[in-house]
Amino acid sequence: MTISQIITAITSGTKTAEEITRYYLAQIADKNPQINAFVEVFEADAIAQAKAIDAKKARGEKLGSLAGVPVGIKDNILYKGHKATCCSKMLENYTAAYTSTVVKKLLEQDAVIIGRTNMDEFAMGSSNQTSAWGVVHNPADMTRVPGGSSGGSAAAVAAGMVPVALGTDTGGSVRQPAGFCGVVGVKPGYGRISRYGVIAFASSADQVGVLAENVTDASLVMEVISGKDAQDSTSLEAPVPHYTQHFTADLKGVKVGVPKGFLDGLNPAIKKQTQKAAEQLKELGAELIEVDIPLAKYSAPCYYIITSAEASSNLGRYDGIRYGYTAKDANGLADYYEKSRARFGLEVKKRIIIGTYALTSERYEECFLKALKVRELIREDFKKAFTQVDVILTPTSPTTAFKIGEAEENPLSLYLADLCTCQGNIGGLAGISVPFGKDENGLPIGVQFYGPILQEEKILNAAYHLEKVAK
Amino acid sequence: MITKQDVELAGKLAKMTVSEQEAAIYEEQLRALFGWVKELSAVNTDNVQLSNATLAAHVRKDQAVTDEQAAANLRAMFAEQLAGQAKVKKVL
Repeated sequence: MTISQIITAITSGTKTAEEITRYYLAQIADKNPQINAFVEVFEADAIAQAKAIDAKKARGEKLGSLAGVPVGIKDNILYKGHKATCCSKMLENYTAAYTSTVVKKLLEQDAVIIGRTNMDEFAMGSSNQTSAWGVVHNPADMTRVPGGSSGGSAAAVAAGMVPVALGTDTGGSVRQPAGFCGVVGVKPGYGRISRYGVIAFASSADQVGVLAENVTDASLVMEVISGKDAQDSTSLEAPVPHYTQHFTADLKGVKVGVPKGFLDGLNPAIKKQTQKAAEQLKELGAELIEVDIPLAKYSAPCYYIITSAEASSNLGRYDGIRYGYTAKDANGLADYYEKSRARFGLEVKKRIIIGTYALTSERYEECFLKALKVRELIREDFKKAFTQVDVILTPTSPTTAFKIGEAEENPLSLYLADLCTCQGNIGGLAGISVPFGKDENGLPIGVQFYGPILQEEKILNAAYHLEKVAK
Repeated sequence: MITKQDVELAGKLAKMTVSEQEAAIYEEQLRALFGWVKELSAVNTDNVQLSNATLAAHVRKDQAVTDEQAAANLRAMFAEQLAGQAKVKKVL
């Protein structure tokens, strides 16, 4: 069911919020044992919330804009009184002491928080294989990964376990799994959505995003969770548009940037579909303009240095005293820290080591400072491009979903899975992945639109039109 | 070229136990990653100003800074000392 169908059913009285919630709980009970998208289902809470919405309706009170819509939340988003583990043994027993702004905004609009979804440990990964609570299976092919790090959220939406879910995106963690699973994934521009109550990975790149069955549903949720938050000084003061009201009749007058050489070295099926998407946009009235973003190819190495450096600092708090697992057999303070922090998984430890090494005084200038400077130049490249065009079209990822276990021996190839998406985080841009066809194995292909900061309506509109022709 | 000692030092600075087996895996993987990162040196960044100039103040020191005099001054404030440690009032 789409969000609009759920709201219509509840407001017209053909279904109650409780019936809707129980329907999705049954879907989860049926499918989750095979897919492993949810790490916890808040069954009793969700039913209680749904009953409260039905009671509100019975009293004749005005319902919120997401009344009765079940939402899954990634396991790094806080909801008071519920566990938030980042799918890490480090936070195995952590219970949120307060509620994140995004969840608070959803609850204010009468959404039903149905459970927390699986993810790569501390959001570090692009295949959901680093989760301490087991790999997630892609509903399109159970032998394949769902992408990551918001793989649980993407798989849950794709399997119809929930109509919408929240994820977070530091290098493509909403858009890449959306592309792999065949759903819509939106990452707003930096500062559009509050991160208060979202467990930090890399603060200059982390953003909350939305995974949904279609662009309209994603837009409706974006409207609710976007906006300035006094609790997050990085959130931007700017009015939040009614995104669906910005959907136009066609794309006449819209300038779509096509980056020079952007299809070089891609999987042939992805290349073909992205070219087809460009042709369809032209048929819808858009003007295609070649743009040059020469330094974008350096986004991935910049991303891995900057985000790992920030992670080494952000994850310093997990020392067994302030947060996290407490070692039982330590001898002295140094030993206590070292043994407690050894609880991190292999990938998280590696990122901390990369970041720590890049920040040592010997490596600081050639690694960290260099990456920051190259990032500035990449941002300038994108700024220039957006003086010529409204949105930029790219593939979401260089491949479709790969087999579980594949690429584990070569982590650099896993890092390249973020190649098309981490540009958006390095540039602070708004981005959306929309399903557009399948490859020869029947695996979903996503294409991506980038837009300037605080202009999410442009990418949502372009994606809305492409989605219509794809269907 | 990244060595096992670099990995162990980074683990020590991060206050995190890294096993022999992990160090061996990381050494190889970090060598590949930092080889890739070297591609950034092809970009001319001579005149680039960072948006946040204060970042330069956050360089992490490779080793803990020890100031013996400051420690001695602190100890001198306590009536009882033993083996370079100051005795404080029992609280538990």
